[in-house]
Amino acid sequence: MASGSALAVFTLIFGTLSKIPTDGIFRPLFYLSGIIMWNYFAECLNRTSTVFKDNSMLFEKVYFPRLIIPISIALSLLFRFSIQLVLLCTGIFIFHCQGTHFQGNRTIVLLPVITLLMAFQGLGIGVLIAALTAKYRDLTFLLAFAIQLLMYATPVIYPLSAAPVNLKWLILANPMTAVVETFRFSFFGSGSFNWINLLGSAVTTLVLLFAGLLAFHKAEKNFIDTL
Amino acid sequence: MTKIAIKAEKITKAYFTDKIGTGTITRDFERWLAGICGKADPYLPAEPNPENNFNVSQKIFWALKNISFEINQGEVVGLAGHNGAGKSTLLKILSRITTPTSGKIIGTGRIISLLEIGSGFHPELTGRENIHLNGAMLGMRKSEIKREMDAILFFAEVEKYIDIPVKRYSSGMYTRLAFSIASHLYSDVLIVDEVLAVGDHAFQLKCIDKLKSLSRDEGKTIILVSHNSENIKSFCHKEIKLINGQLSCQ
Repeated sequence: MASGSALAVFTLIFGTLSKIPTDGIFRPLFYLSGIIMWNYFAECLNRTSTVFKDNSMLFEKVYFPRLIIPISIALSLLFRFSIQLVLLCTGIFIFHCQGTHFQGNRTIVLLPVITLLMAFQGLGIGVLIAALTAKYRDLTFLLAFAIQLLMYATPVIYPLSAAPVNLKWLILANPMTAVVETFRFSFFGSGSFNWINLLGSAVTTLVLLFAGLLAFHKAEKNFIDTL
Repeated sequence: MTKIAIKAEKITKAYFTDKIGTGTITRDFERWLAGICGKADPYLPAEPNPENNFNVSQKIFWALKNISFEINQGEVVGLAGHNGAGKSTLLKILSRITTPTSGKIIGTGRIISLLEIGSGFHPELTGRENIHLNGAMLGMRKSEIKREMDAILFFAEVEKYIDIPVKRYSSGMYTRLAFSIASHLYSDVLIVDEVLAVGDHAFQLKCIDKLKSLSRDEGKTIILVSHNSENIKSFCHKEIKLINGQLSCQ
């Protein structure tokens, strides 16, 4: 539902009114592909960030590895993502039958890698923030705002090629950028895909995940004393 | 041969009353700003009480100090002490919910704890779902949980309400279900804190009978908070008494 309404709004505002280019990709599918990846990431971040507060009822009574909860969030959202992926493929199929030409290509084999990177990013940054919100509860309010901003630093509503040259480095520093661009390239055959960006994103992702797990592990030990 | 179920070595838990964060980043920032400008801390914690365990100069509260003990498998241990003596803190450390400042716990086997009311219930889930959740957290299989389900429901006397979210339960139902789950699921150590205080007299007697049979027939280790109630004292093998965070005698 949320994805559907976002799709309608984006198509209307960014497509019809402001005419932001889409690398020649059919507009609704361009937005849809961006939205389903972004929604996964944002939702994962949102839900894992408050994991200590939301599950304090369980956490203060029973011991079990706390990381299970963030992992279960990431996995259940992957299920939702896979349904949306089917929706995207159906959309491609329908428009293909109507004569729109798609240049899906062999990089589609990277789809599992991209999905994994996306999940690791959501999980890694999520648990990092969870560790922080265990100490600072008001960070949650800041996070909602930060996720909004971060979306505009990710090529969701615009392609990387349309990004202003002087800001491109910033957008490329965002590990989600390469993931979204590769995703689009593999389905539609246009956009900016290169191995260096993807590799950079993978390295950033792993560093973030590692830092997140470390912080989470530290926070889970004694958070119950401060909650 | 008796096996040691839990061994505690010099457990100490300290709470720092002056270094506690305000809990929000804006307030911590204000505090930091005040520190830089040389003003007084706007969120200074209340002056600690110099009595008891407060070390005024360092503002440290010693909840537990140098606690060491051993509990053998199959033993029933009563934990006594007045309010604030550190009973709950000790049980939380034994259940690994929080970590001691120093010292360590050596334990073998699965520990299930009933700390205060409710044993890790998720309020939105139904009674049945919570049984599954608790079983899963102890590493039980689905079939094993199903096998115990009827016994759990029968003991707790909540068959009628088992498909209602536990947030709508009365506190008596809540406690009965919690106790029933904890005593039926497969665990090696059972920790029971203040739970018996909530149930009515008949249920309390039922719980004590159950605990007795768990320790006698199944060899479970049980740690029980007792407030000198005679019927509990009668079946504890050992008593750990805490006075102001320190061990008094065993």
